[in-house]
Amino acid sequence: MTPSPQRRVDVAGLVIALVLLVLAGLVWWDMTKLQILSPYDLGPKVMPIVVSTCLVLLAIGNGIGALRGDLPARDSLDWMPIVLILGGLVCLIALIGLGGGFILGTAILFATTSRAFGRRAFLVDFLIGLVLAVLVYVLFSKLLALSLPAGPLERLI
Amino acid sequence: MSQYRKGLWRGALAAAAVAGFVTSAAAQMELKIMAPAAPGGGWDQTARSMQQVLSQSGIAKSVQVTNVPGAGGSIGIAQFVNNSKGDGNQLMVMGYVMVGALLTNKSPVTLDQTTPIARLTTEYEAIVVPANSPIKDARELAAAIKADPAKVTWAGGSAGGVDHIAAALFAKAAGADPTKINYIPFSGGGEALAAILGGKVTAGISGYGEFESQVKAGKLRLIGLTSAKKTANVDVPSIKEQGIDLEIANWRAVVAPPGISADQKKALTDAMDRMAKSKEWQDLLKQKGWEDAYMSGDAFTKNLADEQNRTKEVLTAVGLVKS
Amino acid sequence: MDAFVSLAHGLTVAIQPMNLLFALIGVLLGTAVGVLPGIGPALTVALLLPITFKLDPAGSIIMFAGIYYGGMYGGSTTAILINTPGESASMATALEGNLMAKAGRGGPALATAAIGSFVAGTIATLGLSLLAPYLVDIAVSFGPEDYFALMVVAFVTVSATFGDSPVRGLTSLFIGLLLGLVGIDILSGQSRLSFGVPELYDNIEVTTLAVGLFAVGEALYVASRRHIHEEKLEPVRGSLWMTKEDWKRSWLPWLRGTAYGFPIGALPAGGAEIPTFLSYATEKRLTKHPEDFGKGAIEGVAGPEAANNAAAAGTLVPLLTLGLPTSATAAMMLAGFQQYGLNPGPLLFADRPDLVWGLIASLFIANAMLLVLNLPLVGLWVRLLAIPQPWLYAGILVFATMGTIAANPSPVELIMLTVFGILGFLMRRFDFPIAPVVVGLILGPVAESQLRRALSISLGDPMVLLQSPISATLLFIALVALIAPFVLKGLGRFKAVED
Repeated sequence: MTPSPQRRVDVAGLVIALVLLVLAGLVWWDMTKLQILSPYDLGPKVMPIVVSTCLVLLAIGNGIGALRGDLPARDSLDWMPIVLILGGLVCLIALIGLGGGFILGTAILFATTSRAFGRRAFLVDFLIGLVLAVLVYVLFSKLLALSLPAGPLERLI
Repeated sequence: MSQYRKGLWRGALAAAAVAGFVTSAAAQMELKIMAPAAPGGGWDQTARSMQQVLSQSGIAKSVQVTNVPGAGGSIGIAQFVNNSKGDGNQLMVMGYVMVGALLTNKSPVTLDQTTPIARLTTEYEAIVVPANSPIKDARELAAAIKADPAKVTWAGGSAGGVDHIAAALFAKAAGADPTKINYIPFSGGGEALAAILGGKVTAGISGYGEFESQVKAGKLRLIGLTSAKKTANVDVPSIKEQGIDLEIANWRAVVAPPGISADQKKALTDAMDRMAKSKEWQDLLKQKGWEDAYMSGDAFTKNLADEQNRTKEVLTAVGLVKS
Repeated sequence: MDAFVSLAHGLTVAIQPMNLLFALIGVLLGTAVGVLPGIGPALTVALLLPITFKLDPAGSIIMFAGIYYGGMYGGSTTAILINTPGESASMATALEGNLMAKAGRGGPALATAAIGSFVAGTIATLGLSLLAPYLVDIAVSFGPEDYFALMVVAFVTVSATFGDSPVRGLTSLFIGLLLGLVGIDILSGQSRLSFGVPELYDNIEVTTLAVGLFAVGEALYVASRRHIHEEKLEPVRGSLWMTKEDWKRSWLPWLRGTAYGFPIGALPAGGAEIPTFLSYATEKRLTKHPEDFGKGAIEGVAGPEAANNAAAAGTLVPLLTLGLPTSATAAMMLAGFQQYGLNPGPLLFADRPDLVWGLIASLFIANAMLLVLNLPLVGLWVRLLAIPQPWLYAGILVFATMGTIAANPSPVELIMLTVFGILGFLMRRFDFPIAPVVVGLILGPVAESQLRRALSISLGDPMVLLQSPISATLLFIALVALIAPFVLKGLGRFKAVED
């Protein structure tokens, strides 16, 4: 996707313009489903209409920019760390959603992020994350009486 | 543990309770109370106050409070109904606001799915006007609304909340069209109060606690409370006593999960009964300025159903719920 | 001069050893929770209420005040060091502050934040004791139309955060406005852009968006470029402390930040975020070193930090004089007063002067304590940046998610954080400015609801915006601010031709 000097049209820029257009459509569609209109003020529809219209204009603006190819130059992208970090976040979300607990999820996130930034001692990092998470968990539940999502590990404490 | 063995175990517990160990069984209770709101709000404070009293007085062995905030309690109740089915050690704090929120949010889970246990506290709504307003009492306010509902602007809490419902009921009782009221929702109590003090609106409506110090300082004039009779803490007759048929209260209550056994329900109700009578709870109510409105058993079940029906009627009339 | 006599009396209450201790506990707790995104002073006070009930009123209210001020300090520390604003009011600080930290100037950034907070907090607390009764009259006379006009001024001024390309800046702003639509519309009670997901009904939390865009987005971006561009963090480059030059560039922004923060904070719907952005925009416009903005300009830290602390003091004006809680923390402090049977408001000053003035005096003390505590810590905090990069970023992500989980333990909230992180990454990659998204989310809903309230009260007559003198003045200022750059540019060109 990196723009080469020969081809001036920036495909990524066009995608951005398209996404904005889709968002504008989404806002407009959502607006048409509003039923309750306030009798005296402008009502809930005006702001979505303004936002939607302006997003269309901005999509056009971004589109023109992309056709002219005047988006700033971009470096090549290393996908591996992104996948690792997002994977860690997804693990955390899944664990909390499914009742696996906060401590395990946090430890995994710590380890994957650390791996994404080039460390190779996954197990050590996992343990560091585990200790960190346990500390935080105890601090929250004992000091502030705030219960973080619990799983099997948390019940042991 | 299989469902069967779980049931067996519960049966044994229930048998023990029936065998006259009611109190000791309750003392073994390890309660979990859900506040379907963020820490700090009214429901959370209620849950944490219960926690304090139940564990101090030994009614329950341990009490844990969890917060599940969001959408006026819609998220909390969904989780409560789906995940705690048949668990006799769980309670959820709720209140009148949830009745309206579930309706306006079109929640798939309803209060009918829970097991009502007890109503705990209540707060009456108060209608106030700025001190320099020409409106002196409820009759004059009613007359103004009847003349032109658009010109009487109300400041209160969120749309569809208890303040909004009370304002609509007032208009209806005054003989005006409740869909035509000019009700302006504000995000926080402070913001609404500022608008009333600044004379930006005709009247304000909220729990009396929000207005009390301003009324006492003479900056706001109290038109009346939404109680049946004049209460001891105010000098003004209630709105109903002034001839406008409006009675509404913002109560808080606890409910248990669906599918609990009769014995479990009784154990929870007994625990609440004991809590409500305890000196600790009474002191706490005084300290928080909450009015005791304790009601349990079938009386509360019926009351809850009535409130749901009436609220649905009002919200439909105002147009916030499309039937 | 009555105020001074009362204040002196208040000081005697505040410096009792027990009360000093409460103030110390308060500022420590406040700093600790202020550091955590998502957990703010309001939550802390809420959780401590049942515990403090047994303490004496003066002590616990003094402690709450310490938590409040401490929270404002703590929020800026993480904003500067790890680009994770602990409070929404620390967002503007993160913009330049984190750039300074990355350039090895974290020490001066933290110092100007701490000293600026102290200066602003002291001036604003003085303002609170002397001007509260007068200010509050003005504050209450602010109607919805006036707030709307204030938002217009804010929109015009924050365009300074847009960066070089107006199209990209506006795109960011409108993404923020779109996000501001999500949730239940307060005026009509129906949900917009929520698609039946109940978790979306409560609007998008500003801290979730900011932490997602700033912290998570940055982690993704830095990680994806490691193979080309190894980021080297040096905790200290040059002086750890503020140089003479830093002082010279900081003191005026401190004062201007205070001038924004205190009065806007005193407005019932003013808040602490708007003054910080106004201050940031002003400093960016007035600075003698425009080339530093975008690379870590100390003015961009000094101003907003002073503004958010002054706003915190401002919030106490309506709370103490009227009993009006205008922020979540103020609402909790009100609950704190009420549990002792005290009702803040017009009568409190007359009934319990010892308590009110004791509280005000302890604000001065809390402020001084925070300065004394924070300055020596600067060296230690900056060392945080010396942590090996993998652990530093892993820690940042743990930190960011933990705050979100603690405030709202729902997977949906974490999904939002992740999505905002991806958005922040893409925006960095395609060079869209990030601050306008947050600005749009904060200002959009307020502007919309206030305009609709104003029109509801006037029964749809838009002239209400010009009939109110406050609103008319503010709109005029906005107009001037909008046109002035063009006129000045024109004049400049005219002069150039003359020469």
